[in-house]
Amino acid sequence: MLPLRSSVSLEKKLLSFSRNSCPSTITQSLLFPSHGRLVQLKTAVSATGVAHREDDKGVNTGTASTWDLSEPEPLPPGLLRELMPRHVAVVMDGNARWARRRGLPASSGHEAGVQSLRELIELCVKWGIRVLTVFAFSSENWFRPKGEVDFLMGLFERVMESELQNIHRQGVQISTIGDSSKLPKSLQKLLSRAEQYTKDNSQLHMIVAISYSGRSDITQACKRIARKVKDGVICLEDIDEKLIEGELETSFSDFPSPDLLIRTSGELRLSNFLLWQLAYTELFFAQTLWPDFRKTEFVEALHSFQQRQRRYGSRNS
Amino acid sequence: MVTTDSIRRSSARIAQMPSFALSVLWFLIHLLISIFFIVLGIADAVENYLISSGFLKRYDAINVGKLRYLAIVVDSEDAMQINKALKLLQWLTDIGVKHVCLYDSEGVLKKSKEIILERLSCAKLYEEGDEKSVLDSKTMIIEFTSQSDGKEALVRAANLLLKRLRSLGENQEEKIFTEAQMTEALKAVGSGGPEPDLLLVYGPARCHLGFPAWRLRYTEIVHMGPLDSMKYGSLLKSIYNFTLVRQNYGK
Repeated sequence: MLPLRSSVSLEKKLLSFSRNSCPSTITQSLLFPSHGRLVQLKTAVSATGVAHREDDKGVNTGTASTWDLSEPEPLPPGLLRELMPRHVAVVMDGNARWARRRGLPASSGHEAGVQSLRELIELCVKWGIRVLTVFAFSSENWFRPKGEVDFLMGLFERVMESELQNIHRQGVQISTIGDSSKLPKSLQKLLSRAEQYTKDNSQLHMIVAISYSGRSDITQACKRIARKVKDGVICLEDIDEKLIEGELETSFSDFPSPDLLIRTSGELRLSNFLLWQLAYTELFFAQTLWPDFRKTEFVEALHSFQQRQRRYGSRNS
Repeated sequence: MVTTDSIRRSSARIAQMPSFALSVLWFLIHLLISIFFIVLGIADAVENYLISSGFLKRYDAINVGKLRYLAIVVDSEDAMQINKALKLLQWLTDIGVKHVCLYDSEGVLKKSKEIILERLSCAKLYEEGDEKSVLDSKTMIIEFTSQSDGKEALVRAANLLLKRLRSLGENQEEKIFTEAQMTEALKAVGSGGPEPDLLLVYGPARCHLGFPAWRLRYTEIVHMGPLDSMKYGSLLKSIYNFTLVRQNYGK
């Protein structure tokens, strides 16, 4: 069995590498760590045996609250630009568990999770990933304790307010999918303003799934088609997969179907996320809890994705 | 007397030393990690043997009843090996799994369903409602699915709902296009099987290859590797690990 779990400590990292990588990839990752303690790298040999030169200038991967707007970062050793996923989707799971392990309230876990998201956005911008979809809040999450739900809604508002300028400066376009009618009015207005403010950005398209359900996405798409049939825009005979895809909430994106899905915290399921869109998506389930998911773990997921692409070729999504 | 040439040669040798040291370091780490891989492979094989032969007692008393519905996704190329599929199903019968959904995108297994059902002595074809039936200890119900039960089935279900909408008249979209109605419509078009608790993917790619998306909301997904290298121990371990999982369903 090839489990899809991976962990953070070196011992567990090697264990996970054994599932997802080959000796060459691990060797170069250990010699030229992505945390970049080496100031200069002479040569890095990728797992395909292609030699190339890189400068690794010791990237700061700390938890600073400011955004790192330095020059575009070269890819870590072993990652090939031509095999980078165009669309990455993330289920940010494990905040509450992270807090519980530290004897903290769940709210602390959610706040810590914001740091991970900030770092992920920066890395996606720097490494040329075009679309990032994050599963912030599912339709089932409304059944959580009211206190936690209210806290989360407040957190979304605070983060969006405080980070909007930074996000805009990085060239990130924000879009939201999900049933926004259930969100507090103030959050609805804020999200709408953020979408409008960033609509012309093109470095990265970040899609925030909030109050989202994959089944509802499909059902709503069919409902929209029904209205078009009623209005005479299309005929009943014209309904096919492409038409449904064109009405899904992700259809506005340049790359509607994710190439790679990452779910943290060791859970091995989709939880009603992008059900239609994930048919041929590479699934990477990480053992790490979301607040601990940083550059190292993201690089691991990308290594795993690229390895599979090299061996088996990309699939049409 | 020290000449310019000898100085240059010495400098060149000294300059090469860091590259040489790096190469040696690369080789040593590569060797260590290769050894680690080998050891891990041996450990895997040993664990599989111990599980298969019953030495690890915790795998003896698996609460298989918790696994109400198991789905198996097989890469269509691997699915051509019907004997492998039969062996896998026989293992599942031995473990006590009662309801299995077999999927491959091209429908290779679907086309071979008569052969498979014939060769498995106590298997019967899935019919709607079977998930609730009480079976004896030996019988297994098998559902065969393919791409036509995935997105294509959703298209047929959408068409069916549209026809119902027409018969009801205007402005009834909110009543017709609900998740419950979609589930019913999928049953009506013959693709309404239950949601699997666990989905095992046998193939090179770590994706579900178009398994009916409507049924995958809370399914645990485990990648097992190619069908060629399937192992009884790994299968038992996956099912055992599933029985330990506790889901909150988002709440």
